[in-house]
Amino acid sequence: MSAPSLRQAAGLALLAALAIALPFAFEPRGYGIRILCLALLFAAMAQAWNIVAGLANQISLGHAAFFGIGAYTSTLLLIHFGLTPWLGMMAAAVLGGLAALLISLPTMRLRGHYFALATLAFGEVMRVIGNSWGGLTGGPVGISVPYAKPSLGLMQFADTRASYWLMLGALVVVTVIFVAIKENADAAEVIGVDTTRTKIVAAVISGALTAALGTLYAQFQFFFDPDTVFGVASISVRMAMIAIVGGIGTAAGPILGAFFVIPLEEIANQVFSAQAAGLSQLVFGVLLILVILVEPRGFMAIGPRIRRLLRREER
Amino acid sequence: MAVVQAILDGLMIGGVYAVISIGLTLVFGVMGIVNFAQAEFLMLGMFVAYYAWAWLGLDPLLAAPLAFAVVFLLGAALQHMLIRRVLKAPEVAQIFLTVGLLIVLENAALLMFGSGFRSVSTPYQTSSLQLGPLFVSVPYLAAFAMSVASGLALWLFLKSSWFGRAMRATAQDPMAARLMGIDADRMHMLAFALGVGLTAFGGAVILPYLTASPTVGTQFAVLMFTVVVLGGLGSVAGAVVGGLAVGIIQSLSALVFPIQLQNLVLFVVFIAVLAFRPKGLLGAAR
Repeated sequence: MSAPSLRQAAGLALLAALAIALPFAFEPRGYGIRILCLALLFAAMAQAWNIVAGLANQISLGHAAFFGIGAYTSTLLLIHFGLTPWLGMMAAAVLGGLAALLISLPTMRLRGHYFALATLAFGEVMRVIGNSWGGLTGGPVGISVPYAKPSLGLMQFADTRASYWLMLGALVVVTVIFVAIKENADAAEVIGVDTTRTKIVAAVISGALTAALGTLYAQFQFFFDPDTVFGVASISVRMAMIAIVGGIGTAAGPILGAFFVIPLEEIANQVFSAQAAGLSQLVFGVLLILVILVEPRGFMAIGPRIRRLLRREER
Repeated sequence: MAVVQAILDGLMIGGVYAVISIGLTLVFGVMGIVNFAQAEFLMLGMFVAYYAWAWLGLDPLLAAPLAFAVVFLLGAALQHMLIRRVLKAPEVAQIFLTVGLLIVLENAALLMFGSGFRSVSTPYQTSSLQLGPLFVSVPYLAAFAMSVASGLALWLFLKSSWFGRAMRATAQDPMAARLMGIDADRMHMLAFALGVGLTAFGGAVILPYLTASPTVGTQFAVLMFTVVVLGGLGSVAGAVVGGLAVGIIQSLSALVFPIQLQNLVLFVVFIAVLAFRPKGLLGAAR
């Protein structure tokens, strides 16, 4: 990417100011701000997924493995050793990166469907372990993050706005890393660097980031179980779907996708859940199919499409 | 003796695994896509058989052809409306179309049938045969026999009917098949419908010993992928070998590991095969 023009820089600065000020428009402990937090967190997760899918061109259906590792690592370290989640998050990232290395070394050579199948199985392995190793994880009943007096050191806040800024920071970090790797990958391809190695590096970074985000999730929700954090539908597919809806391989795609999918899902849950379980998930599936059939490149492709149409009209 | 008994049990369930997985491998062989929603058709087959039993008093083994027919038609419609559109699309579109279909089918079932577990009762449910020191449970034996019968029927169809030969031709060389006047679109529809129908058939025959629920597919999804990858994706004969192998691995590992870890062994085998023999243990044979 060339140096951003003055106009682009001004636009980014305005966007940043808006993003930072946004929570003041919401009730500090209300429902609205919680949805914003989740949207930011899922945007960051989709961005981490995007590193492997968009740049290494490999479709992972098992990123929940890293996410769950992150959630359990920091929570168990906090419970057993009183370790602050800030350090727990570092440990989570290390373990997440190692797990990604372990699974990518033998599978990164695989193409398309085969890689998707291997990662799907890896996520399921972690879910089975999480459910059956009750002595460590607490098993299927789940685990609670010990509740303490709110403090920055324990990453627990009385004011949800603080969580918002934390999630926002996480999204910025992951996005900056995505952009940096993207530029690197473009350059590497020109020089002709070993692409399998580049892909494995991308997978390790993606796994480490996803695990760190798992820690943020645990500290935000205070309770989780193996089927949630290691879930195929709840995590792996949702991360992927957000990136796809927004625009796979683009930096803005996962953010657009998350701010569309997460609020929509919350609204659907509010409206439908009383009448029928499954309806909001059904909507989710139909949406995924529609995006794939209508515009598999997501929202990011719609802008240029419209612009092209307009230009044609001018002539 | 426990080992021999475990191998026998493994063969019985493995026969069923083979039949439910043949559909998956058939679709991949003919169309080149992995249907991530395949296990949901097993769930639909179970529910067709369940309602046939609850409303008409039909035994699930007799309802299996009905389950096949219903899901066959559904599969033909889905192929025509959805799958057909992504056959030339990038892999990401193919993968997530069927993943979307999985979510839709599972939740549509949840809305229609409720989240409860449904089971049938049959006169032979708890009986078993004794062969010297070994025991064979009758519902497992019946499901195995039905699976073998349907597998043989498919084999005959693929080998000797015009449609079967045309389908294999499409899988081998789509261009040449087209030049011979074979309509690839029709062959894809037939392959997909046949594939999901066969899986539904397998769902019906296991109903006497398993309970149906909208989420039952998740138990089978990775298992079916393991079967087809072991045998080589796209190979029907491979799926039979893979199915029997998975059944035996599962029941042998039950002797050593606690029940929750049985699937773990399977997943590890699966990842190892993908990593080291991605074309399957039998090689690249179709």
